[in-house]
Formats: sequence, structure tokens, C-alpha cells
Amino acid sequence: MVKSVSLFLILCTLLGSSEFEKNCLTCHGDDFRFNIIMKKYTLKYSTKERIKNAMFEYLKYPSYEKSILPSEYIKKFGIKEKSELEDKILKEMLDIYYDRFNLKSKLY
Amino acid sequence: MYSGEKKTIIYVLVLYLSSTLLLIATLFTSYYFYKQEELADSEKNILKKYTLELKERLSILHEESAQRFEYPRFENFKSAIYDLDKNLIFSTMDIKIKNFEKEFFKKESKSYLISSLTPYYLGAAYIVIEKETKKVDILSGLIYLAIIVIIITIITSYFLVNLVLKPLRDNIKLLDNFIKDTTHELNTPITAILTNIETIDSSNCDEKSLRKLQRIKIASMSISNIYEDLVYLLLNHKTSIQNEDLNLCEILTQRVNYFANMANQKELNFILHVKESVYFFADKQKMERLIDNILSNAIKYTKKSTTITIILDDSLLSIEDEGKGMSKKEIESIYERYRRFDKTQGGFGIGYSIIKSIADEYAIKIDIESQLDKGTKVTLTW
Repeated sequence: MVKSVSLFLILCTLLGSSEFEKNCLTCHGDDFRFNIIMKKYTLKYSTKERIKNAMFEYLKYPSYEKSILPSEYIKKFGIKEKSELEDKILKEMLDIYYDRFNLKSKLY
Repeated sequence: MYSGEKKTIIYVLVLYLSSTLLLIATLFTSYYFYKQEELADSEKNILKKYTLELKERLSILHEESAQRFEYPRFENFKSAIYDLDKNLIFSTMDIKIKNFEKEFFKKESKSYLISSLTPYYLGAAYIVIEKETKKVDILSGLIYLAIIVIIITIITSYFLVNLVLKPLRDNIKLLDNFIKDTTHELNTPITAILTNIETIDSSNCDEKSLRKLQRIKIASMSISNIYEDLVYLLLNHKTSIQNEDLNLCEILTQRVNYFANMANQKELNFILHVKESVYFFADKQKMERLIDNILSNAIKYTKKSTTITIILDDSLLSIEDEGKGMSKKEIESIYERYRRFDKTQGGFGIGYSIIKSIADEYAIKIDIESQLDKGTKVTLTW
């Protein structure tokens, strides 16, 4: 029983990871950029929930006000397009993103 | 030192010292709190400096592009960072902060300072700095200082009181000496009168002259009694006390004989139920004063041709007259000095004051029973 549950969990994680790679990493590319985004959000929103909520809000309804990018970058690249991912999937992706890149877990 | 003067010194000293001590206490307490506040301020400033140091290190750390970040650690202090929802991010401290309302507080010899931080480097919205409190013992130093100041105040106040009371004391001394000299001057003529009356051969006198002589003798004895009372009062606590086993029966008989002339003039009859060999350890002069005052009062205030009953037992002496008596109110205030109920009789009103003072000295209980127009009974028990 324990074995089957463990296997299921591993499978889910692997599936989640591959989903993350498909939905997020394909565009954002490397860890470096993702780290910078996390730092920017942490600097502005501080806590896990606030960061994830802010990211979700921006991805669903991107706007100039919600963006954490410096204005010159926005001028250069413009506001990103609205995410077409379902809310549930987007939230899962954000969970994976936070778990992988949050600064708190990197402190020792 | 007179008892009144002693009391005055004590009252003035208590008043002066209590007000001075109150002032000192207020000053020292204010100083103590001021010092504590000053100390807290200095601690706070140090903690603020440490907060800035940590903030600077956090900002640098935040910008680093490492895979892992080493939290800044310092020798002088410990620290912790909390996010905007007051969740702990990282801590090198032993305790966890729950209350973020107090900016600065002390706990178990450690000082803490909580500062808010923006932007949130590494997500930190609050920085907590913990530092060992600098040990400065203000209180014991203040206590030593207070003791020294109090001792100096006590010494100076004693001299001050003495200085202030000096003119008063000189005046009292002058008055005392005057009364003493005057009283002393009275003694010689009274003794001369009494001695000379005793030496007059009564057989050579006619009846009229003899009566006159008797009156002179009684009057002189009254003055002599007043003189003795005054001497007792003036030299109170200064006379050398010579306590000895006194035969009260002997003394009582002597004193009754002494007042015989006075009693004869009022045609009084003495009934004596005196037990022989009743001894009491006291000063002879004082016991004479005690008995004389009760006896002379009885003679003075009793009606003409009545009886004075004197009973002496092992632990009791009672003298009962058939005079005008006293009311309950009068008995209550009888021991007040200069209290006189019947101004028609001579005296200063010091008799019962003397009786009380001597009785108190030898733990003798005085009991006064009196009925108006029936008489007074004074009972001494020991």
C-alpha cells in the first residue's frame, strides 16, 4: 500500500515537473531569469501567499500596474500576453515555481 | 534635657527628616528612572546600528546570484528575519518572537529591537536584533549614595534643631533657675517660722494667742507642703532616687501626726486601721509626697467635724474622707496638672499630678471612688 502511494506521488511530481517545463520553461528558458523574477517578487511581496497571488493575478490579467518589471523593460518588450492556462493548472505551476525558486529555502 | 524639649526635638527631627527623606527619595527615584531610560536609549541606539548592519548585508545577499545564501552572522548580536505575515524566515536567536507590537524590550538579561524593513530583502519585512544587555548596576550605587546623604542629613538636622532650640532652652533654663532660687529662698523663712513656733512655750501664752499661734503653724505647714511639691516638680527626674524597704505603717503614722494640727482645726477624727510592718521598696521622699498629697487633699476638702478613715494592708492603702466628693467628669480630669475644682481652697492643682507620677513610677494602681456630698475614697494597690 505504502509503496503504491509513494509511486503515485513520484509519478505526480514527475508529471508536474514535465508540465512545468512545458508550460513555463519553454518560454522563460533558464533558471537565471526565473531567479530574478522570484527576487523581484520577494522584494515587493515578502510572503509565499502574497507572491503567488500577485504572480497569478499578473499572469491572468497582465497590466502595467501589476508588472514588477522596470518601466524601460516594459517599454522595450511590452506587457506579456494573458496566460491561457486553466486557473487550477496555473496555480499548480506557481506552486512548483515557488517551491523550486523561493529564497527562504536557499538560506542556510 | 527636659521631657518637653526632648519631645520637641523628636517632633522637629521627625518632621524635618521625613520631609527631607521624601525629597531625597523623590530625587533618587527620578534619577534612577532617568538613568534607566538613558541606558535603554543607549541600548536602543546600539541595536539600531546592528539593524543597519544586518539590513546592508541582507540587501547585498539579495542581489547575489548564488544557488544558496549564507545568512549573515555577527559576533556582537544575534538576529532573525520575519516576513510580512510575521512568519519566521531565518533566525540565529534562541527565542521566537510572537508579539511585534513592542519595538524595544528586555527579557532575561537580553535586549531586543524589532524594526520593519522595506523593500523586503529575502522577503524580510521585520528584523529582530538580540543582544546581551550591558550590566550597569545603578541601584546599588544609588543606595550607597542615598545612605550617605541620609546620614549627613540626620547629623546636620540634629545640629540644626539644637541650634534652633538654643534660645528657647536658655530661656527655660533661666526661668527654671529663677523658680528654683525663689523656692529655695522660701524654704529658709518657712523653716524658721516652724522651728520658732515649736520652741515657743505654750504654757506662757493665753488661749487667744495660742489659737493664733496654731493658725500660723498650720499656714506655715501648708506653705511648706506647697514648697515640697514645687521642689518635686522642679527637680523631677533629677533628684537622686534612693529606693529602700520602707515601713509604710511608720511613714503613715508620721504623716498623720504631721497633719494633726491641720486636722484639729477642722475638728477631724482620724480612724486608722493600719497593719504593722507593711514594707514597700521605694524612695522615702517620694512616698511621703504621695501620702502627704492624698492626706492634705482629704483634710482640705472634707467637711468640718467628720472622720477620715485610713486603712493600710499588705498591698493596699486607702484614705477616705466625708467631704463634698467629686463628679465622674471631675475624676476623669483629676490628673491634669493645675486642675482645680474648688477655687475656694488653696493650692496649685498639682497634687494629683504628683500622686499619679509617683504611683506610675512604682506601678501603684490608683482607684478613686467618690460620691457628691458623701465623700471620696482614694485606694492605692500594688
